Amino acid sequence: MDEALTETGESASTYSAELQRARGSAAVIVHQREGKSRLSRLYQEGCLKLRFPRLPAPGLTAVAINTAGGLTGGDRLTQEFRVEEGATLTATTQSCERIYRASAGRAQVATRLVVAPRAALSFLPQETILFDGGRIARTLDAEIEATSRLLMVESAVLGRQMMGESVTSGSFADRWRVRRDGRLVFADDLSLQGDVFGLAGHAATLGGARAFATVLLHEPEVSARLEGVRALIGAAGGASAFDGLLVVRLLAESGHMLRKTLVPLLSALAESALPPVWSI
Amino acid sequence: MSPSLIPLLTLMSPAFPVGAFAYSHGLEYAVRARVVGDADAVLDWIETLLRYGTGWCDLLLFAEAHRAAAEGDEARLAGVGELALALSGSAERRLETIGLGMAFRQASRPWEASPDDGDVAVAYPVAVGQLAGRLGLALDEALAAFAHGFAANLVAAAVRLVPLGQSQAVALLRRLEPTLVELADKAVHSDLDALGSAALFSEISAMRHETQSPRIFRS
Repeated sequence: MDEALTETGESASTYSAELQRARGSAAVIVHQREGKSRLSRLYQEGCLKLRFPRLPAPGLTAVAINTAGGLTGGDRLTQEFRVEEGATLTATTQSCERIYRASAGRAQVATRLVVAPRAALSFLPQETILFDGGRIARTLDAEIEATSRLLMVESAVLGRQMMGESVTSGSFADRWRVRRDGRLVFADDLSLQGDVFGLAGHAATLGGARAFATVLLHEPEVSARLEGVRALIGAAGGASAFDGLLVVRLLAESGHMLRKTLVPLLSALAESALPPVWSI
Repeated sequence: MSPSLIPLLTLMSPAFPVGAFAYSHGLEYAVRARVVGDADAVLDWIETLLRYGTGWCDLLLFAEAHRAAAEGDEARLAGVGELALALSGSAERRLETIGLGMAFRQASRPWEASPDDGDVAVAYPVAVGQLAGRLGLALDEALAAFAHGFAANLVAAAVRLVPLGQSQAVALLRRLEPTLVELADKAVHSDLDALGSAALFSEISAMRHETQSPRIFRS
């Protein structure tokens, strides 16, 4: 884990030149002791804080808080969630992540998920909201085993919809890599650059939609869920099962409409109550 | 004349026996859902995939496989092979790229039967890029030919689905020429860091096609 944390390391001079920019790191290891999921290690630094509310859910719940209150160019968050054999963790965020107009550079968020055999992790951050001029690059690397359970979602809303904002310049990049037993089994590179609303207008991209989500579930016998998931999402998106994975993609005209499908979907796939932040 | 021209014309010909005519890459659902309904919409659909979707990503995977094979770098080749399969994000996307890739390997044996042919699943852009690299075919021309094949196959699917007349199909290919040249050239100067797709509805179409009935294409 320490190794992963130092990967954020840049030279001291680079750091001081960007000292005004937000930096945050957090790392968690959860293990199972006496039949319960417990924190075995917690590290947090900078603007990224983790809270562990007591909830009726069977596992542990971690809520990430970006005390910088949003992200802009040059900001960098690094987080790692590791769940050891037999343990269960749900990780979410206290609020939507707002990506503010960047004067230079882009915000970077790097997430690493490690799920041991017979362990379960639900990685359910709330939506990212891309403001006009906002720039963000996210990476999500997951390492799982054949008997691991991993549920994850990334969802985004383009523009501050209450203000009727258009995103005519922006950058949104999301890179997922999922390895099972060391082999890359799923990769996804989502990228919307430049005139994001113009780009989103094409039929093959978002068809004018303003919010989208990708959900991935890995568990033994996952394909048995496919029919139920298709019935649940209806015309809001598509679902497919292959190679032990279930992938769901959703499009919606607004963040609110997205939640109307996403919340029931995640509730069905999470197998326990969603953290309270996930309400419609 | 470029020595690459003749082998590229053969390997990328619509008549090359990989069964490409059986795949619509999700277009069949988009037409049935009335999202794509005329020649202009077909043009926009194909251009979008080439610029911001699977067409662009396939060009990058092709170029990486070409370079790795030309340099004899087996580890790099294995890496792009694994990545290309992993990037195919739904059941029919995998069926399509593996179906085409395996058929291409089989059909291209007269050029080179490589020792690792076997039954190992290979994605289509990697299978073609790898052979083109091993044969020393010029990367820029090979990319242009591959991009043309991607577009021509979607145009052929649109002819059956929309439907379009042959003269409309030819006009579409003419209109696609500048885009094909531009993106093949861009891919020559890019690497895998440039991977990125905005074509979410195309992905959803491929997923929804799985339960479409009746249907005439395998994807």
